[in-house]
Amino acid sequence: MTRRDLLRLLLSLGLLPHEAKAELESESFFHVGPLKGVNFVLRNSPTSQKRLIETMPGGVALLDYNNDGLLDVFFVNGGLLRDPMRSPFTFDRHDPLYWNRLYRQNRDGTFTDVTEEAGLANAGDANYGMGVAVGDYDNDGFSDIYVTNFGKNVLYHNNGDGTFTDVTAKAGVAAGGWSASAGFLDFDNDGRLDLFVTRYLDWSFQNTKICGAETATYCPPSEFPPATNILYRNRGNGTFEDVSVASGIAAKKGHGLGVAFADYDGDGFVDIFVANDATEQFLFHNNGKGTFTECALDSGVALSENGKKPSGMGVVFQDYDNDGLPDLLITQLPHEPYVVFHNDGKGSFSAQELETGFGLLSGKVSGWGIGLEDIDNDGWKDVFIVQGHVFDNVETYDSSLRYKEPPLLALNRRGHFVKARIGSEVPVAGRGAAFGDVNNDGWLDAVTTSLGERPQLFLNRGGKLHWLTIMLRGKRSNRDGFGARVQVNGQVRFATATGSYLSSNDKRLHFGLGSAQTADIEIQWPSRIRQVLRGIKADQFIEIEESERS
Amino acid sequence: MIRAALFVCLFLQGQATEAPRAPEVVELLRSGLDDETRNNLDEAITAFRKAADLAPSDAVVFFKLGEAYMKKRDYVSAISPLKRAAELSPDSLPVDQLLGFALLAAGYASDAIPHLEKVQAFDALGIAQLQVGRPGEAVANLQKALEKTPNDPDLLYYLSRASGALSSQSVDKLLSAFPNTARGHQALGQNYFAAKMYAEAANEYQRALALRPDLPGLRLELGQIYAASSVWENAEKEFREESRSQPGSAEAAYRLGDALLQEGKMKEAAEELQRSDQLLPNMPETLYELGKATAVSDPADAERALGRVVELEKDTFLAGQAYLALAAIHRKQGKTSQAAHDMEEYRQIHSVISHLPE
Repeated sequence: MTRRDLLRLLLSLGLLPHEAKAELESESFFHVGPLKGVNFVLRNSPTSQKRLIETMPGGVALLDYNNDGLLDVFFVNGGLLRDPMRSPFTFDRHDPLYWNRLYRQNRDGTFTDVTEEAGLANAGDANYGMGVAVGDYDNDGFSDIYVTNFGKNVLYHNNGDGTFTDVTAKAGVAAGGWSASAGFLDFDNDGRLDLFVTRYLDWSFQNTKICGAETATYCPPSEFPPATNILYRNRGNGTFEDVSVASGIAAKKGHGLGVAFADYDGDGFVDIFVANDATEQFLFHNNGKGTFTECALDSGVALSENGKKPSGMGVVFQDYDNDGLPDLLITQLPHEPYVVFHNDGKGSFSAQELETGFGLLSGKVSGWGIGLEDIDNDGWKDVFIVQGHVFDNVETYDSSLRYKEPPLLALNRRGHFVKARIGSEVPVAGRGAAFGDVNNDGWLDAVTTSLGERPQLFLNRGGKLHWLTIMLRGKRSNRDGFGARVQVNGQVRFATATGSYLSSNDKRLHFGLGSAQTADIEIQWPSRIRQVLRGIKADQFIEIEESERS
Repeated sequence: MIRAALFVCLFLQGQATEAPRAPEVVELLRSGLDDETRNNLDEAITAFRKAADLAPSDAVVFFKLGEAYMKKRDYVSAISPLKRAAELSPDSLPVDQLLGFALLAAGYASDAIPHLEKVQAFDALGIAQLQVGRPGEAVANLQKALEKTPNDPDLLYYLSRASGALSSQSVDKLLSAFPNTARGHQALGQNYFAAKMYAEAANEYQRALALRPDLPGLRLELGQIYAASSVWENAEKEFREESRSQPGSAEAAYRLGDALLQEGKMKEAAEELQRSDQLLPNMPETLYELGKATAVSDPADAERALGRVVELEKDTFLAGQAYLALAAIHRKQGKTSQAAHDMEEYRQIHSVISHLPE
């Protein structure tokens, strides 16, 4: 154990003197830089017309599409917006500059652009790109990719040979309008992944507006009609049924941007949280009969602590205080603190941004992609947020604000968040963020996107504390194990790749173990099978196949 | 206008002892008055104008002609006959009043002022003074007018405008005459603050503090600048200094409590907010923050504080916030029916305030 690891451990136990704490927190946690071999630029095409879509992309996914054990990266691009724009409204997505991109990771840590050979070059000229969701919807063992757009969404089936096929038409999941974040989940526990898509608002080139008094800028969402979210049920034959209305999801209209899933009340059915922009947040409680009840207000998660409607953008639905219950952390615009809704049990939450110190970390910044991951492997999940304002000219409105902001890392000290050095103070217009162990060293990394710039890789410097990474393999449950509740040495993770903003995380479940060299694992599968493994050696990747019975 | 009509009667009575009128002038006046009563203002104006042609020295005739124009809201046309009436009857208060109103309504505020001063029409006089850039006098006269009609929304509106203009005028004078004084820097800092230029505002306050470190209120305002820019550590420092030098200031204690709350220092925040509540009881904002500060550590205290907020505020946004906070406490305590009641109250308030114009 290094001195740094010892300090971290003592700090997590609350036993560290002040001076040593300062020393530890002065160290940065990541090597920050470009991904080697990746020349992708997120092209959002800002114009003088301040069309709202141009400030909102774009997502990133960490996935192992070819099952070689290495995480690959998929980036969603925006598109070309002309100034002025004339009908037909297309975005030149046939031009390689505006393609989405898939990069395969090589054994040496470099990446190779495989977009064209994988069959992902055609993003659709009428589609301006937004986000990405990843899941094995047909349980064939290969991760499939769903891309959200302003326009039509696209489902790419992974053929298992390094190529993908656009199966949108057959699957019936094109949606339409302006989709934002999406995610795969098994809401009816039938062993097949369903699909949830948030939609932002009813915007078009016909109803676009410019706002701002003396200086033109982007309009707030309240200037446009709200939209409904979409739930697609997987029929199991390669097609999906739009059950938005039947399930009750479409009963609520909002300004959905972020989405996250967890079974917050422990009833065995995964629930859905939608981060709405400047609207009440939505918590769709899964009734277990194919229907949902929106209950955010009565559960205490619709409004921020001061009763205002949060500008919800990114969201994560995991347990930050190791009490076994999933909590909600939401990023939003400046002058309102980032939101923490602590799960108090029995289906209710309370705002805790002040008590946790989370609110103190925000205030002047705008947050987008967010991860709640144990960056320092001390057994407590830390917060990583990419930041940057919506307005590219915000400085003219408020000199205390900045369009470009560096990302934020806050270490979790037994439920209290303390800002730490992330390794980069370079300001960017950050948007997407995906989290996973890119170099398989047992320490969580991140890949982020920024408007008009190349993505950044935050490669964890690592240390000596212990860890365990679990890959679930569902049998009766969906093959990805999404929706499982996994407890390791008292910590809990809810299996999902969904969260953050427009992005999809490594589906493997990472646990920091601190000084523990073994782990006891308890898995509650969506099939309700309970599986326990004891004395598992630390510092390894372990695949756990769902047992036949509890 | 009703008051003006009363003056007209008095004016006519006052003129009754003047030289007798020719019968055709009397007939035209009667005809004009009849038309005026029936609201046939164009006919009345025609009759009064003919009478004026026949009796160019009769103040009453010119007054009636001007008044008919006023009723027609043709203020520009009213001015000429009313001015003639004033020449013919320089001591007539009704003429001065109506002429003052006509001039003001037509935009000649400075010409209106002497006439309005003569009749002590404080409401119109205050408005005229505001328009000609004499906000100090405007404030005084509008306040006098409000003593008679305290709930007049127009008067309240003009008083607020006049007060703002007076403040701005004073600041301009201060900045031009004494730019390098503590008060000069403070005023400039306030201007920067209003323009959301927080760094510049804080800089000016620091300069003011360098010149007059003991000036009450400076640190309070500087703290508010830091608070607005979410630099809570600095805000706490300034509010703490202000509280130290002004231990009797409830606002300083409240601001300090709020800064501590934002920093997550709940216990210290609660102490300061309780102190503020003792110094100046029943301030809803203080009680609400106190409820937030004690919600986790002492839910009973929080309930008491938030309960006082809803008693004091009834159906405002703050009352809604307080019900939300009460619901969270009750949910956590497992008091589901109380939480449901809180949420029902919140929804009722929300349904009312959401229909109010923003």
